[in-house]
Amino acid sequence: MSSKTYKCHVLVKGKASGEALFSRQAFSFDRAVDPRTGVVADSRSGMAGANIRGNVLFYTRGKGSTAGSSWLLEAIRLGNGPAAIVTEHADLAAVVGASVAGILYGKAIPVLSGIDAQIFWKARGKTKSVASVDGSAARVVLTG
Amino acid sequence: MHLNSVHEKLLQGEGGDANQLAMQILVEVGDAVGAESLVPIKSAHVQADYIGLHDSGIALFERFAASGGKFGVPTTVNPASIDLDGWESFGVPAEFARKQIRLCEAYNRLGGIRCWTCVPYQVCNFPKADETVAWAEPSSVVFANSIIGCRSNKAMAGLDIASAILGLTPKFGMLLDEERVARIACVAPPGRFSDLDYRSLGYLIGRSAGSKVAALDGAPKDVTSDDFKHLGAAAASAGPTAMIHYVGVTTGSSSLEKAAGGEKIETVEVSRSDLDNVEDELNQTEETPDLIALGAPHLSVSELGSLAKLLEGRKVKRGIKLYVYTSHQAYEMADRAGIRADIEAAGGKLSQGTDADVSPLKAMGFNVVLTNSALLAETLVADGRVKVRYSSLNDIIGEVLA
Repeated sequence: MSSKTYKCHVLVKGKASGEALFSRQAFSFDRAVDPRTGVVADSRSGMAGANIRGNVLFYTRGKGSTAGSSWLLEAIRLGNGPAAIVTEHADLAAVVGASVAGILYGKAIPVLSGIDAQIFWKARGKTKSVASVDGSAARVVLTG
Repeated sequence: MHLNSVHEKLLQGEGGDANQLAMQILVEVGDAVGAESLVPIKSAHVQADYIGLHDSGIALFERFAASGGKFGVPTTVNPASIDLDGWESFGVPAEFARKQIRLCEAYNRLGGIRCWTCVPYQVCNFPKADETVAWAEPSSVVFANSIIGCRSNKAMAGLDIASAILGLTPKFGMLLDEERVARIACVAPPGRFSDLDYRSLGYLIGRSAGSKVAALDGAPKDVTSDDFKHLGAAAASAGPTAMIHYVGVTTGSSSLEKAAGGEKIETVEVSRSDLDNVEDELNQTEETPDLIALGAPHLSVSELGSLAKLLEGRKVKRGIKLYVYTSHQAYEMADRAGIRADIEAAGGKLSQGTDADVSPLKAMGFNVVLTNSALLAETLVADGRVKVRYSSLNDIIGEVLA
């Protein structure tokens, strides 16, 4: 077991931890995640079949539809959202979805950016890494 | 983010519940993205399709409407998830339709313009250059920044309605001069461009530019606004793209150097085989389609006219449906000009105020969709429940119209 700390930029505050799920792609929640189950559908995401519920989601950047935020909001409302989101480039869909979840349902999740996507390449697909996200101290700790 | 005394009072609830909720969203998002302040917008464009917004979106819209909210600036709306004038005839399940109708009613109570289109700039909202707006619908945002020359971020669902209510939006991203400069150049392959080439090229720009604003060099200067609409839609479906400097077309970007603000920038050469690879990636099957979907974004009345000519004397093969998606306004004009009748004579059906990328296609009974829209193809590939084929309009017509 090894533990590594990465300095990040806080977009939405909060603390969370969970199993790490990595996508090496740009990602949108629109269609790619079923909010009723948390299961990832998009076959190109590298996370297909995995469940985002309670896990820490890592991807490079956002893409696509402006509904990405509302797909995330619905997943969080139903208890199937990720524990936290960490990206290389800030994803506005994650920021808006997580913020509105906090305002409407008191269920904001931490969103961070600025992590080097190189670590996603080192972590092969679904790993058993555990990520601990501290959105006050602006850091992510990966263990495993 | 700096708030003035008026903003502070709204945040404290002095302007009522709806304004307070909207201000809470703007402040949370503005702080997250490091915006300095809130700035006024001239118009908003929001999303109110049930497939994208779900029950939490209905709750948000109804909360704004029930607490006396009204849009503070002219506000337009993206396509609904159903054809509001005839969803039964498109095989939409009634329970799904009822959810969409609730969203429409809440939108109407907020005082929005009932256009239900992804191309407001082609039918009902014509901003001037340099105006600041807050538009949802990525393809319209790319068009606004790149062709009209006004300024918009991709107003994500939630940020869009909050901006529309208050007529304000956080100042960041595409609203800042320094963020609008091209940081990467994509060079198009030489030669004539088919409908599919524009879309595939857009898709590649969206993917390869990443979070950078791209300049597109070497692409045909006779690009039409409809061609650019599809190129921008494809780009925005594949990446976070909000602006493309189409060199020679975008105002102020008569050369690559000008687009890049005089800086030397990274260049990506796009080859014909790169475009072919996009086709291969978005083509998920060889199966016979049960739906040909043309739209995503909405076709203009001139595109409908060209389509009607291509369809002349032809008939869609048995077992295949042809749905053509457009705005209410273009539908009306196509109807008056006999274009709708021509499309129907070929076995097609014109659908207004909705689009394939926000429709419940699986629940409507479709399994294999053939389209020339990279945006639709991308959406269906991500979804995974409906198979997709991606071909040029000429190939589509050659294959499925007798």
